[in-house]
Amino acid sequence: MVACILIPGFELRAALRERPRLATRAAALAPLPGSDPLVGCVTSAAEAAGVRPGMRLGEALGMCPSLELVEHDPAEAGQAWEGVVRRLEDEGFAVEPAGIGCLYFETRGVERLYGGVAGALERALAALGSSWDARAGAAERKFAALAAASVARAGQALVVEGEQTTDFLAPLPLSLLPLDETRYAELEGLGMKTVGQLASLPGSAVAERLGQDGRRAWSLARGGDRRRVRPRRPPAEIAERLEFGEAVGNEVTLRRALGTLVERTLGRADRADRAVRKLALSARLVGGGSWQRSLTLREPTAEKERLRVALGTKLAELPAPVTAIGLELVELAEWTGQQLELVRPEGSRARSRLKEGLRQARASAGTGAVCTVVEVAPWSRIPERRALLVPRD
Amino acid sequence: MVADSGAPSAARPARLNEPRPALVEAGFDGTPREVDRQAVMLVREEWRVVDRWWTDDPVSRRYFDVVLESGERRVVFRDGERGGWFTQRA
Repeated sequence: MVACILIPGFELRAALRERPRLATRAAALAPLPGSDPLVGCVTSAAEAAGVRPGMRLGEALGMCPSLELVEHDPAEAGQAWEGVVRRLEDEGFAVEPAGIGCLYFETRGVERLYGGVAGALERALAALGSSWDARAGAAERKFAALAAASVARAGQALVVEGEQTTDFLAPLPLSLLPLDETRYAELEGLGMKTVGQLASLPGSAVAERLGQDGRRAWSLARGGDRRRVRPRRPPAEIAERLEFGEAVGNEVTLRRALGTLVERTLGRADRADRAVRKLALSARLVGGGSWQRSLTLREPTAEKERLRVALGTKLAELPAPVTAIGLELVELAEWTGQQLELVRPEGSRARSRLKEGLRQARASAGTGAVCTVVEVAPWSRIPERRALLVPRD
Repeated sequence: MVADSGAPSAARPARLNEPRPALVEAGFDGTPREVDRQAVMLVREEWRVVDRWWTDDPVSRRYFDVVLESGERRVVFRDGERGGWFTQRA
């Protein structure tokens, strides 16, 4: 069976760990800077006052004037989520994270160890503790497991046997399905309120009326396809952090700090000489809140200078002075070196130089800096329709 | 694991050879007399492009391949849908 662990409002819970007094009061995640003024997850006190996630900020404050807004802290949420996933992995669950607050695992490998499906779910919930209010669900397919976890209470595990799946899903609300607001409104306009009502319609009619998204939702409403759980490979935890005595915004100082972090992380024995494929640079901003950028290298490397150049461009994106900066080696390559050829094929040197030049240009100027001209309609009478500039990333 | 808190969105393909606005003085018959404050010495060729009339974005252009007094060759067109003059490599 497939099990799903769900922690609703994970980002808000993670942000409230440093301000626990807000957990019992009306609080909501503030809108992200530069995005629509919509509130994120809300506490139960805010929900009782009528505030709903996704509500416009003005409306939410009008409904609950005492509402406290909590700033997004993606780095803190990411770290906390990594902690949750690792705790389950330590218990022997091969976990597939599906976004922050939701993960899946196959129970088959651990059922005998923990005394059945229910035992495995209880063990998983116990591993997470009560502070996250996690809930668990298990079913034959992923969507049904997610639905089971969604209707379970905090700390509860709900198992849906194969033959009960259709009956279990039928009375559940349509909001469980991954559709956008306009589609929900369209379905409600047609008198649909439950998953079962959608599942009872002919698939071709749903596809014609609601398109690809609707067809997928219809397929999920009938239980979903048998997608296997793809557990992640637990990443190596190689991270270093530098705290500053006072806020630093000077680029020279930040670049020096970055150089030190690169040296420290590459010098870690647990890297075992493996090259780095993906890194994450994070910082704590002076006004509170955090900043994070991840970087995937086109070619894994363990050269300090290359890493410094690649990460240096990210520093320019810092929105404010920082009080701490951290670097994590998120993904390492399997190999520790590169076999060179005895006789290099003709033109390979020029090609490798060109490749390196393009890589450098991309690293310094960002995504979309290197493009290829692709002829799409060379016969067109409209000149601008003949070719496209396609980023080579 | 590590979530990106705001990486720039992936770059998208862009059109090559987009028309650029041009400053054109036209005569009574609609042929250009001046392009970017340079007198037109010769109109080498003239043609029309009417296309995509069945879509919401129809194209109706009158192109001129001209030689300016500096000897430079330019292709300009009058956009019949949006109005205004543009220059473009044809």
